[in-house]
Amino acid sequence: MRPENYQAVSHPPSHEYEVFFGPNHPGIEGNYALKVRLHGDEVTAARADGGYLHRGFEKLMEGRLWIQNIALVPRICVPDPVPMEVCYSLAIEALGGLEVPERAQWIRVMQLELSRIAAHLFTFGGNAATTGMYTPMFWGIADRDLILDLFEELSGGRVYHIYNIPGGVRRDLPEGYLKRVSDTLDYIESRLPDYDNLMFTNQVFVRRATGVGIMTQEQALDWGVTGPNLRATGLPFDVRRDDPYLIYDQLEFDVPVEEAGDAWARTLVRRAELKQSLRILRQVVARLPEIDGPIRAPIPNPLAWNLPLGDVYTRVESSKGELAYYVVSNGGDKPWRVHVRGPSAMHAVQVLEHLVTGARIEDVAQIMFSLDACPPEVDR
Amino acid sequence: MTPTDAPGHDVTTTLDFLLQEVDGLRTRWVAPRRLRVDLPAETLPALLELLKGRAGYVHLSAISCVDWPDDGQFELVYHTWSYELNVLVMAHIRIPRDPGVYLSIYDLYRPAAFFERDIHEMFGLWFEGSPDMGKFILTEWEGPPPMRKEFDGEAWVMEQFGWQEYRPEWLTEIEAKGGGISKRPEQLRGDKGEDGTA
Repeated sequence: MRPENYQAVSHPPSHEYEVFFGPNHPGIEGNYALKVRLHGDEVTAARADGGYLHRGFEKLMEGRLWIQNIALVPRICVPDPVPMEVCYSLAIEALGGLEVPERAQWIRVMQLELSRIAAHLFTFGGNAATTGMYTPMFWGIADRDLILDLFEELSGGRVYHIYNIPGGVRRDLPEGYLKRVSDTLDYIESRLPDYDNLMFTNQVFVRRATGVGIMTQEQALDWGVTGPNLRATGLPFDVRRDDPYLIYDQLEFDVPVEEAGDAWARTLVRRAELKQSLRILRQVVARLPEIDGPIRAPIPNPLAWNLPLGDVYTRVESSKGELAYYVVSNGGDKPWRVHVRGPSAMHAVQVLEHLVTGARIEDVAQIMFSLDACPPEVDR
Repeated sequence: MTPTDAPGHDVTTTLDFLLQEVDGLRTRWVAPRRLRVDLPAETLPALLELLKGRAGYVHLSAISCVDWPDDGQFELVYHTWSYELNVLVMAHIRIPRDPGVYLSIYDLYRPAAFFERDIHEMFGLWFEGSPDMGKFILTEWEGPPPMRKEFDGEAWVMEQFGWQEYRPEWLTEIEAKGGGISKRPEQLRGDKGEDGTA
């Protein structure tokens, strides 16, 4: 309910109660919980409660070979798994001094950007559903499925691809694959006006998102927010451009920003980013046929592969923000330590607690989805 | 430092010049835009304050903890990023494993609250002055901090749940051809006894 429709009612002092959002709730992303304290329908305090998706990945990785962990990492973020594989692979390559062949780098960028589009479509759907609009949710998931088809053709897996491995990628593109990527891009581009009509210019959504969950740039920096949520406060920072990896420095793309810092601005940034990802993918589809060569650097027998002593901090831009891996090798065949810095660890805990406090109960789910929090990244 | 590993001359000069103000630092460019700093634990707050105040290091990307039981130490790595210089500074400190207490940097960096809470939960370190060290992920866990090296997850599972024999027909067929699981996991690890403990 918007403020202009709302008539304040004075409640007796006892009119305070607690509501558990989650761990199983349609207004929560994944298995996560928010305990909110309410006065009437206004949130007076909120407490994030995680751990429902904790699978102990960091500990498990210490007991497995460098190469075996590739099967674990994509599970750390279900909607956007490719950055996990790439970031972990980049760390091993840096430790082992491997040079990734150019063709593999282009293929990786293609995977990363397809994954970003899939993740954003998923988020649009979820975000719209929090305002009672279910059609964008069905559309978002259906259109994302076309990208999952591409992943399946390439790697055999729809969600967990285990396709990026240290040194490069697992296999080359099948015959005619780029054409099918290009067709999917055409289709998604042709759908954008429909999404605009249904969601981005729809007053039902716009008015529910405008002015909700406002975060200033100062707060965003103070709280360590990255990714689209930071860019929605006006700071054009993107790891792909400002700390480039793979071949991102050879691509042309803009870093979209908005100034308002509210749920609406965050949604607009993601929409603009989706178009930039399409732009990047068009460049990749055009260039990839010219780039020949191996898809993988030669690696030693992966079952008896000791990486030299050292540590490395690698970062990539996932659809949620700055994703980083800190990997330590003690010279053995398994990692001594892997620390996963999921971007959502920032905006799904402290930031979420701050932003929902003072908001109304009906906006809680909207705020969480507009931040695009990914609980498995928090829990690991 | 090799010239190719360093970013633009201006940035290196700025950082090298600035870091002279703190005693006891060892700095090394490990990759483009990655500066490693090793320093004594008591100097870290001064370094972070300097970086944040004078070089735009407003972003604490992460705090990582590494357990080194043979040295009797925990290593804490503070990864900070400057949106102005576009260089990541990784400040490495070591603190004694026992009692495993260090200062919180929450006053300087708010995101530290999450990382310190996480490290407390997983490694058992205590950060003086951190706003909330309550349980977050391992709410129902009563055991030791699981990320410490001495905690053996597999042995714990064996102890709690025991070994369950699973010999379906298809496995027997594979074993007859010389494949399958011939040894129990703890037998594969030569350093462990039958019950999974050292």
